[in-house]
Amino acid sequence: MRGHGLLLANYVPGESPVHRAPLWLKFLLVLACGMASFLVADWAAAAAGLGVLCGVYLFSGAGVRRLVRAVRPVLPVLAVIGLYQWWQLGGPAAARIVLNVLVCVVAASILTATTPVQALLDGVASLARPFRRFGADPERFALTIAIMLRSIPFIAGAYADVRDSARARGLERNPRALVLPVFITTVAFARQTGDALAARGLGEADDPDDRTTGTT
Amino acid sequence: MSIVLDRAAVRVAVDGRTEPKTLLEPVSLGLTERRIGVIGANGSGKSTLLRMLNGLVTPSSGTVAVFGSDTVRDVRAVRRRVGFVFTDPLAQLVMPTGREDVALSLRRSVRNPQERRAQAEAALDRFGLLGLADQSIYELSGGERQLMALAAVLAVKPDILVLDEPSTLLDLRNRELLRRTLAGLDQQIILSTHDLDLAQDLDRVLVVDAGRIVFDGVPAAAVEHYRMLCAADPAAVPRAAGAPDAGDWAAGDSARP
Repeated sequence: MRGHGLLLANYVPGESPVHRAPLWLKFLLVLACGMASFLVADWAAAAAGLGVLCGVYLFSGAGVRRLVRAVRPVLPVLAVIGLYQWWQLGGPAAARIVLNVLVCVVAASILTATTPVQALLDGVASLARPFRRFGADPERFALTIAIMLRSIPFIAGAYADVRDSARARGLERNPRALVLPVFITTVAFARQTGDALAARGLGEADDPDDRTTGTT
Repeated sequence: MSIVLDRAAVRVAVDGRTEPKTLLEPVSLGLTERRIGVIGANGSGKSTLLRMLNGLVTPSSGTVAVFGSDTVRDVRAVRRRVGFVFTDPLAQLVMPTGREDVALSLRRSVRNPQERRAQAEAALDRFGLLGLADQSIYELSGGERQLMALAAVLAVKPDILVLDEPSTLLDLRNRELLRRTLAGLDQQIILSTHDLDLAQDLDRVLVVDAGRIVFDGVPAAAVEHYRMLCAADPAAVPRAAGAPDAGDWAAGDSARP
């Protein structure tokens, strides 16, 4: 299966100031970038923000190749969005939208590349702790984020595999030959992951009735 | 007795069929030996039997108890004592690196992050995997991945280790590595396998066929029974063009699968 390193960069061990920065600050950076993507109206400001974030990423020592690998998968989608927005709203608006999305992707990559997953999970669990009074389980919340981080690259990899297999059979123009296998692979992956977690007693329901009887 | 199955059976509903499909006929067993194997053809019910021991599959009728805990009512207690290793380590390793995956196993039992990190390192070190701890699981060899999955399961110190065809995806060298590693473990081990050499190392072997346990005894006799079973049903033995037929296989070439 390919695609395991796509979109969300894996943790790169290091001792840079970015690595040592407190988790809340990195969370805040991602949040601020997400908010800014709605507020920034000037493409030059978005470009400057992207430049600064790329600088921070490289300063962490994670490297240009990982940065390119993190950004590359979204480029085809951004190209389509950019062209459409150019046609609808003009060049500056299209550039602003595309650059703002890239700002969010790079900010998220800084967080995941400089924070061990376990520290990330501890942080998410801490953030979710106040919701315990409403019946939420912080550990399950953190586990959900972890599974999401793992699943997105897996599904991207599944799509790449299925596309190659469709090409090999001359079916690359058949949407059914692309969508159905990815869908089936994704469902199978979800079941496997569920079994793997359940077998280790992670994220299981308190009530045994929540589990399916007689499934394999 | 560590594990007791009392008339435990598994049936599942299948679309378009009025009767549920039986995956495992009622079985009553006590599993106490240190090394127990389950052999049988693909789809015979080996995995269903093993998955019942950890509560991944619940019996449709009858009961399964591990150290007195019922796998339906006390599934948490059961899973604390029974570790489960899947055939494909990539299905089992849910974190990007081995270090993170072992630490994930410890999240429920060790709340302190520093302590968790130290225990994860100790678990990896035990299998000589510390040098690979931060490598992507996709960059590891099949054997390294299987050992990593084993380390993640053993990190929480289960009493029983259940392994579902752990050597199926491994080459000969990695199979030997796994075999040596399993031999050195203190836990009670219950595994399914197609590797009949591995089965010979065990104390007791069950042969499963069409959802029934058709033989239960010492490894040599069990393997012989399984070979005869395959020979008696030529359809069960896939054969390449020009290969000898099932009758020839029954003649007893021990090198054959």
